[in-house]
Amino acid sequence: MVSLEKIAQAVIEGDVATVKVLAQEAIDAKMDPADVINNGLIAGMNVVGQRFKYGEMFVPEVLMCAKAMHAGMEPLKPLLVDGQVDTSGKVVLGTVKGDLHDIGKNLVGMLMEAGGFEVVNLGVDIEAEDFISAAKENNANIIAMSALLTTTMLEMKDVIEMLEEEGLRDNYKVIVGGAPVSQDFAEEIGADGFAPDAASAVDLCRSLLAG
Amino acid sequence: MKGFTFLTTEEVVKVHDATLQILENIGVSSSSEKFKELLLSNGCKEENGRIKLPADIVNKFLQKAPSTFKMRRRDDEPDLEIGARIGYSQICSGTPHVLDLETGKRRSYRLKDLEDLTRLGDALPNIDIVSCGVPTDVDEHGYMTTEVATMLRNTSKPARVPIESTVELPYIKELLALIAGGMDEFRENPFLYLEVSPLSPLDFAGLPADAIIELAQAGIPTGLIPCNMMGATGPMSLIGAVAQQNAEVVTGIVAAQMVNPGLPVIMSPRVTFIDMKSGAGLWAAPEVGLAGACSIQLAQHYNIPVSVSAFSVASKVPDQQSGYERCFNYICATLAGCDIYAAAGSLDNALIACYGQLVIDSEIASMGKRITRKIEVTDEALAVDVIAEVVNSKSSFLEQKHTRKFLRAGELWAPQISDRSTFAHWNEKGESIAQKARNTAADLLKTREPIMEPAAEKEIDRIIQSARK
Repeated sequence: MVSLEKIAQAVIEGDVATVKVLAQEAIDAKMDPADVINNGLIAGMNVVGQRFKYGEMFVPEVLMCAKAMHAGMEPLKPLLVDGQVDTSGKVVLGTVKGDLHDIGKNLVGMLMEAGGFEVVNLGVDIEAEDFISAAKENNANIIAMSALLTTTMLEMKDVIEMLEEEGLRDNYKVIVGGAPVSQDFAEEIGADGFAPDAASAVDLCRSLLAG
Repeated sequence: MKGFTFLTTEEVVKVHDATLQILENIGVSSSSEKFKELLLSNGCKEENGRIKLPADIVNKFLQKAPSTFKMRRRDDEPDLEIGARIGYSQICSGTPHVLDLETGKRRSYRLKDLEDLTRLGDALPNIDIVSCGVPTDVDEHGYMTTEVATMLRNTSKPARVPIESTVELPYIKELLALIAGGMDEFRENPFLYLEVSPLSPLDFAGLPADAIIELAQAGIPTGLIPCNMMGATGPMSLIGAVAQQNAEVVTGIVAAQMVNPGLPVIMSPRVTFIDMKSGAGLWAAPEVGLAGACSIQLAQHYNIPVSVSAFSVASKVPDQQSGYERCFNYICATLAGCDIYAAAGSLDNALIACYGQLVIDSEIASMGKRITRKIEVTDEALAVDVIAEVVNSKSSFLEQKHTRKFLRAGELWAPQISDRSTFAHWNEKGESIAQKARNTAADLLKTREPIMEPAAEKEIDRIIQSARK
């Protein structure tokens, strides 16, 4: 018999293959899919989140655990009745127009997913209107923008202004990040939040949606 | 000084071989049709959307890059000999923040800071090349032209600017031609070099790739400055990250030499890493220094000038951490035998510019020059006869001509700001080096001799105006 602890443990170990096998065994044993997800997979990921927060685990290890969790989710999700699993929120994420730097925001996206958020990663060089239409289409809670170049940082302001013009500003929380971005800059352009690194970006999203 | 080696000759060749394998088997990607065409028409092949560079092509074009070139000082001081492994210190570029000279607090970098830091770099004896942070109060139209003009009108030392595109190249050429007396004169005696960043891993995006071609066509000395991060955009193993970075730099050099054989180029690899507990980018010690030293050995193998990020640190203020971090990164570069030590005056992973730190870095560079100066092992320096004279006459070395001669010739390093006084003397002020450096910066900025003639200043204003339209 598959135990939820065993599934959680395999997630904590980042063991993709074992999680896959255990998830299938749980399905074969007709276990409640919501129970397996919430008290097996997500419970394991919560432990990972805690360990990461206290500096006991490294980013690549967390990503491996998230991969394991998702490998388990895949066969279970179609068996769910709507609303049985809550995500922490939905984030539309991208690097602003004119900027091709990928890795920082991917890292943020991966850690957000690991933290229970649903992430729509738009990619790099994203026009202001594309951020907004993606947020609308996906019913996002948060628009997250990244820039590495000091020359492209100001594009973030354009997105916020466009949201205001369209009367949509209150529909979304807007967060910004990237090496040259600072709290002062975030406030100056009217963003709702800034995170200095990928790990704190996840906490920022949680606190914005809680408040 | 004979270079201190981190890698054996066989190991350097092995890294070069890995570089060739990366270029021949994995290849590079580019969204620039011009860049692709250039490589393909010179013997490279396209496979599955990637450009593969055969080893013989890479080796052939690497050999066309000059081993040395001069950068002109626009005053009476000697020119810089890039490639002679002399070790020139260069102000940090790309800093969006600065520690305010008055308050010591972090704030946005402004055009006035570019002006002042250039002035300060001009005044400091061991800062050799100026560069620019990212002023937040400059209009995006004419941005680069304003930066270049601001540097050239505030120093007679050479300048360097990293660029994202060549949109403003016509105006920059106009500036260079104005100051040099024509573009041919500039190419003959350059006093500016521009740097282009490919994206790691192995991607030559449109604007930077086009820039490599256009700079080569214009004959402007070009640096290749990718920046991979160990474990994120490059392998977690240091030497793997060095090999990948080398492949990126080499591709840019090869492309530039295809356009303009003999174009002066600089290899400027920046292997960095991320904090695996937070994801933040780090330009810290000691790995940045170590990777830089390995890259320097590769550049020496190719006989091409090289710059590394020798002064970069994670520290946020000019404190003890800043001191030991930059010394470890700097010493790796200086022992390996480098041409340009970048990131002078920087803090916080090259995100903050600091006036006082630039003064301290001039001091560090001065000590670096002392330790890399060749130790002449001559009979005169060995001084056996002087020892005999002193011992036999029961006198002391203080009374010897030999002492005076060597002292005057600079046998002892002479500090500019380091405190070496007795405790009692030091205690009169009880000043920390950070305070003293900040005060020195403020003092040096009080006097400003004009660098350019009024007529040239007027012309520069006109060029900036036309770039802003």
